[in-house]
Amino acid sequence: MFRNLFTGTSLGLLVLLHGGLRAQEDSSRIRVNVVLVQLSVAVTDGKGNYIGGLKPSDFVVTEDKIPEKLAGFEEGVTTLTRAADDTGVPMSATAPPPISAPGDPALPSATGGPQPAGASVFILFDSSNYMYRGFVFAQDAIADFIRSLEGVSKVAFYSYSRNLSKITPLTADRSAVIRGVRSTVAGDDEALYNSLLLTLKDAAPLHGRKAIVVFSNGPDNASMVPPEDVAELAQSTGTIIYMISTREALNDEASTTVFERISKATGGKAYFSKSWKDEKMAFESIREDLAHLYSLSYYPAPNPNQGWRTITVKLADKSMQKYKIRTREGYRLQQTSQVAPIAPPGREWPGVPTPQ
Amino acid sequence: MRFHRRGLYLFAASLLGLGSVTFAQNSTVLIPGPLRSFLRMAGVSQKAAPEDILPLFARSVFIRGYSGGRPSEYLMLLDRYVAQARELQALAGPAGALKVTNCTDAVPLLQILGYRIRNGCGKTTLLTTADPDRAFLTIDSGFPLPQLEEALQNGQTFTMPYTYSQVPGLLHEGDWFSISTSRRRGISSLIDAIVDDPSVARLYWAMSKLDPETRNVLLRQPGLRRLAPVAAVLDFYGGELTVRDNRVIVPGGPTSDNAWKDIVGASPQSPGDFILHLLAKDRGWTAAYFDAMSRASREEQAHLTEPTRMKQLYEAFRPSDQDPPATRGVFRRAPDILVLFSRANWAPDGTPHIPGDIDTWKHILADAPRNHATSEWAKRAKGWNRPEQVLQGMVGISRTDMESGPLQIFLQANAIDRARGNAKPLDPQTVRLMASHFSQYANWFPLFAEFPELDNDSIQQFINTAQAVGGISNETLRGNALGSFQAIVGIWQVLARQDEIQPAMLNASWQHILEPFNKVQNDTELFDHARESLGQLAMAAAGKPNCTQDEWISLLGGPNQSSREARAMQQEMAGRIRSVMIDQRLVSLDTLFAFSDGLSALSQGTTTADKLLPMAEELREFEMPRAILTTMERIEWAPRGYSIRHAQLQARVDMTKLLKSQPNKQQLENARGTLAAFLRDTLVGLNYAYYEPPGAQMLHHNPVFVRAHDFTGATVSSPERAWMIAELFGTGSPASGGAYLAGSLADLPFALAKSEQDFIVPENVQALIWRELVPELLVSASMPRWWEITAPEMHAAALYQRAGEDLIDLARKSPEVRSRVRGILEDRLTVGQMITVDDAWNSKAPTPPKIAPADAFYLTSLYRTRFPQEQAWSPAEQELEALSKEHPEESRSDRIARDFGVPHPVMDSSYGRNLLAIKPFPFFGGFSSRLFGESWDSNNFYWARLADELGYQPVMLHRLVPELTRRMTAKIFASHIEDWAALDRAMRETGEDFRHTITAQKAAQAVASSVQ
Repeated sequence: MFRNLFTGTSLGLLVLLHGGLRAQEDSSRIRVNVVLVQLSVAVTDGKGNYIGGLKPSDFVVTEDKIPEKLAGFEEGVTTLTRAADDTGVPMSATAPPPISAPGDPALPSATGGPQPAGASVFILFDSSNYMYRGFVFAQDAIADFIRSLEGVSKVAFYSYSRNLSKITPLTADRSAVIRGVRSTVAGDDEALYNSLLLTLKDAAPLHGRKAIVVFSNGPDNASMVPPEDVAELAQSTGTIIYMISTREALNDEASTTVFERISKATGGKAYFSKSWKDEKMAFESIREDLAHLYSLSYYPAPNPNQGWRTITVKLADKSMQKYKIRTREGYRLQQTSQVAPIAPPGREWPGVPTPQ
Repeated sequence: MRFHRRGLYLFAASLLGLGSVTFAQNSTVLIPGPLRSFLRMAGVSQKAAPEDILPLFARSVFIRGYSGGRPSEYLMLLDRYVAQARELQALAGPAGALKVTNCTDAVPLLQILGYRIRNGCGKTTLLTTADPDRAFLTIDSGFPLPQLEEALQNGQTFTMPYTYSQVPGLLHEGDWFSISTSRRRGISSLIDAIVDDPSVARLYWAMSKLDPETRNVLLRQPGLRRLAPVAAVLDFYGGELTVRDNRVIVPGGPTSDNAWKDIVGASPQSPGDFILHLLAKDRGWTAAYFDAMSRASREEQAHLTEPTRMKQLYEAFRPSDQDPPATRGVFRRAPDILVLFSRANWAPDGTPHIPGDIDTWKHILADAPRNHATSEWAKRAKGWNRPEQVLQGMVGISRTDMESGPLQIFLQANAIDRARGNAKPLDPQTVRLMASHFSQYANWFPLFAEFPELDNDSIQQFINTAQAVGGISNETLRGNALGSFQAIVGIWQVLARQDEIQPAMLNASWQHILEPFNKVQNDTELFDHARESLGQLAMAAAGKPNCTQDEWISLLGGPNQSSREARAMQQEMAGRIRSVMIDQRLVSLDTLFAFSDGLSALSQGTTTADKLLPMAEELREFEMPRAILTTMERIEWAPRGYSIRHAQLQARVDMTKLLKSQPNKQQLENARGTLAAFLRDTLVGLNYAYYEPPGAQMLHHNPVFVRAHDFTGATVSSPERAWMIAELFGTGSPASGGAYLAGSLADLPFALAKSEQDFIVPENVQALIWRELVPELLVSASMPRWWEITAPEMHAAALYQRAGEDLIDLARKSPEVRSRVRGILEDRLTVGQMITVDDAWNSKAPTPPKIAPADAFYLTSLYRTRFPQEQAWSPAEQELEALSKEHPEESRSDRIARDFGVPHPVMDSSYGRNLLAIKPFPFFGGFSSRLFGESWDSNNFYWARLADELGYQPVMLHRLVPELTRRMTAKIFASHIEDWAALDRAMRETGEDFRHTITAQKAAQAVASSVQ
């Protein structure tokens, strides 16, 4: 039942924006989307094993300390460690079936193991000159990662240097994505946060689990937007950011810190690898993580706060307090224009009427 | 770069009595491997015409191939790619195809590619890197590795044609080997010769820019070997060289031949000799002078080449022995002489117009910053008594690049006088005042050329007020005062441009808004005086002393409209502004003014604190983005300089505490002063929002972008830069809180466009035209508004373009028309562009020459003026003629040029829009790089035509122009900085995409309605 709600269409709720225009509500026409708030939640034990088999009633969600009622719930896949095994509480023998996007039959992976269900994954590949030496190894690793997601998720492949390059739009066609990976060319400067922002805008309208996997090899040296703005947009749109970074970034303490915090704030993780082999391990970890996330959603209860809203997720049962929960920290209301993707190239002209 | 169509060019050397000499102007050059791969590795656009490929490749080699005399990474990769391509070609064998039927077969190929097989043979086969250097070349050159991998997985045969690609080459390959100084042995191809020797590459590029006839003359005499030492001069300054009928076409025409002979030391009638002397003389400066004059319009040339004047001007321009060569550096030199020669102002008696008077310029030179040129000319100026001498002085100092020297003052003052129609020129006192503050306010003076209604008093008052505001000692107060002052001036500029201030009121309203800023002593006064100034502006624009924020936004959104569509669009434009104000989390003017009044009332005991609490809460609602780094981390990692302190201070303001603490009168007065910072940001925000560039992200996602604007110049080393066009700081610095602008609000559309341009996602990789040009494109979309455009005017704009295209087609058949058309276009097209037109005229193909939309408009406009008795030459011209009779005002070419033209703040020293009779400027470095961007002026003409032909109302241009421009920018796929063809192509591709979509939608609607 929850699932039906969760998979419903946009579910957008329009409300008047508070703040600077409150004094002129009559004339204000700008509205914001208070969308169904979606949370991707990882529950792990002390050893980092994923905990599965939890029910909606096991979760307590608050927003600015206001209790929220779940409107949707989904578990990724059956996990190796089940809460029931640990607690003795009777649990369902099988986890809820994963949801697949139309045209995305849930197929077993070529490499086996759990798979993320219905997730949309954007891979953001650093093609700046930092990447020159590791360029081809990184491509190999990314190609493997994409293969391991075969038939399960939709994947987009973007590369970036000073500008973003949308090489392969979101698609279920694995071959198309791999062709995109192999067609990347090396660029110049690195504008990671600019590119993340633009990628987030593409991810914003999507429903279900969505993640951006960033493969960066150095500190940003060309972005206009700061990481704070990117983190807020990611959290506000419910997009997880995973960062994989290699040698150059490790030499820059500011970048390392930002990578860790930006991913943590969105419910993701940061990985720092010294070699391309480590990168493959990071990809494997991300694939596992995506596969085991719970999806929770709720319509926010009345909340006068028009600024930052803090989200807290806890497990209800005392016996489960030992588990760790990882999810986004909150969100901020966004104007429709802020989360609208930029019109794609080609022959789509949204917003331009046909002359009479 | 047109040489392929001419085939084997025959040159009769009979003039020299040598009999017939044949020069092969082109040949076929073989490039190993697929052309697509070579283009990728060479950094050449995939859309480059075949005959342009090798010249562009040569250009890339000498520009990007060497660093400090050593091969760059680019060149090494290119060299290695060529070697790899040769290996693959050898593997492909005589059949010219790479063929792999199974894993064993694949091994030799994979070794060359730098890959190996993983997971054995079959469905699980994967290709993985074995040799990263080779693999990088494989990927970077676009080898279809996934297809090979899939073929191996599926047990299918992989076949790929792999042979030489053929492209047209200039001359015989051997001609180039002979001048190469490379030590590498066995050079057997032009590609190697170009890669190995940058001087060969540069000469190849330079020669390719000449038309065939000119090139052929040079090949005969002096020949490639003697040209090699002056290749750099030929590259920088040889683009306008033309030889016709065995004589050099010189500026001023044949009557100037003797003068040029005296200057150069050889006769234009001995073209080889003349050109070699020209290139070699005075270390390239003679060629620079010749080139600058060649680029001026015929009308300007007629003045400049008066024989005595021309020689005197050259004597003034000529370098001393100590001066560096004209080819030093990466970019060509002396941009201002091009501007001076293109935009000189002449008195009715034919003498140069001198703003102010001659004495004024003696003083200006005496006071100018000292360098070799100004010192020398300051001495000479003491004896000046004729306008000619002033012009010579300006030419003399033009060799020295200065950002705000006497020549820049001269150009600016000339622009203002030109805009005033020389009727009420600047008086000497005003010119001297402007000059004495030019280094500070140079970027503000173009406003006085845009609005010639502003008189000398208004200019003086601006300078005095700016001095007063800039002289405030307290840095925080000064920053807030500068921001508020400039923001209100900016709003005035918008409203004046949108005709929301009556022309008769412009001068008075200007003075009224400035006056309050002369007496700012503290924060509270700043708040009150800024409010007073805004009230004066409200009176001028709305006829009442106060406007609500919504009313201000509505005014900025556009003037009142009568039609339903226009009203809706006006609201949409206002909505865009409102959207930015919200995303920047700016406090509304209403709240600020109401709160200020409330604090005053509380001070007087006529209200109570609790009534003010809701407004105090509103001030608190501004939240900084949630910090990722701690304060200590920021201090450690952020670059030194400006911070987001201004925004942080606002975030900490808590007026509720004050209101609950029973404040005394002084505290309440101080609290009003605190509001000055908020007021500044809201006013600045209105400016930012109005000029939102297409595809902007910073304005919507960095809520401190407006607040972070550094008005005091704390970021920059020189406080004088505080009044200059804002520059972008803080990019690529994650700890600094995002990029921000430092400087003034002068030319804000350009500064914002520079800030936002990188958010446009290119459709093509290797889109090489970018930072140098895109801001100007975006400005051409963000600055204009289209409220005054009527349907007849937009239709006329379209007809002018169509008639121009018809005319150029007619010129194919009619020599007389061709001569006339050429005479007009030579003022707008470079020699290279003219060659393209000539080629098309001479071609047997039925396709007419393609010229840019602004050039087509210009052609029709001038043709109609010069040949008024001419019969209509096409249906479009007929229709234009009829339209001109029915709507004479709206069909006037000068009006259309103004409405669909672009601003030229550097080229024309004015923020007003126009279409100039100027050829595209070459690329320069530094501030003058804008000259290049300002040369592209076709977009809005083309968009207007598109809108007209598709049946849109002119008001829809507000929506169409930004979106079309954004998409066009994304499509640019250029090979080098002056690749004008790439711009034209991107524009037309965008237009055709749009036309196709709308036409299909219309057809679908027609079908749907017929079904109903």
